[in-house]
Amino acid sequence: MSEQRPFHRPMPANWWAHKPYLSYTLRELTGVAVALYGVILLAGLVCLWLGADAYAGYQDVIASKLSLLAHLLLLVAMLWHVVTWFQTLPKTMPRLILHGKPVKPQSITAIGLLVAGVCSVALLAAVVALGAWS
Amino acid sequence: MKPSDIGPRPHRSFAPVFWLLFGAGGMLSALFGPALILLTGIMAPQGWGLPARFTDFPHALEFARNPVGKLVALAVIALFLFHGAERLFLTLKDMRAGALPVLRAATYGVAALMSLATLILLLLIGF
Repeated sequence: MSEQRPFHRPMPANWWAHKPYLSYTLRELTGVAVALYGVILLAGLVCLWLGADAYAGYQDVIASKLSLLAHLLLLVAMLWHVVTWFQTLPKTMPRLILHGKPVKPQSITAIGLLVAGVCSVALLAAVVALGAWS
Repeated sequence: MKPSDIGPRPHRSFAPVFWLLFGAGGMLSALFGPALILLTGIMAPQGWGLPARFTDFPHALEFARNPVGKLVALAVIALFLFHGAERLFLTLKDMRAGALPVLRAATYGVAALMSLATLILLLLIGF
């Protein structure tokens, strides 16, 4: 019996930082931004439980310039997540067939983005309207 | 044909559970994420378009005490965490950043602990 020695093509350790893998890496890292935003909300929940003083401290931190910058960066990452999420959706969902014809991947992406836009704008409008009315 | 005739029971994987949590978090954040970041991170703290009392202590507490508010907070925090955990785990695995049990603990483990903490906090805050 001869020992199997398959050829492994050498791969630089930082392959993920170079084209064509860089776009994949950036897309996957938007997930970190989504999780970080969850951690920020969790921190607020902890302060809310600790009491009024701790919550006031949390509000001060959240209102700082550094927090504003961090949230703007999170927003950019979140928007890239939205775009890439619906670009991948046609590949992850079962094939959609309408009137005997498969629906084009570009149409599914466009419809997804439209629905996402409507959802986010509706939530924004509802909260702003509630704030102005109450 | 008895079940034993078709061979040994296949190995069951936990992957679909995490895949489901990843997908749910990805869809929730894709639909409402931008609006949520704008509202809680930019508009409310800076006072742009929202009254300051909207997120003050009594109102925030009222939201966290409402059963629907609790459900929204738990869904957003836990699903966002598990979405990030799945993406980070698979990326670190592809980067060969460490042993798989370590990577699992650092991603899924942290997400699970923080989700549990969210649940406990919401229960401690009361109804």
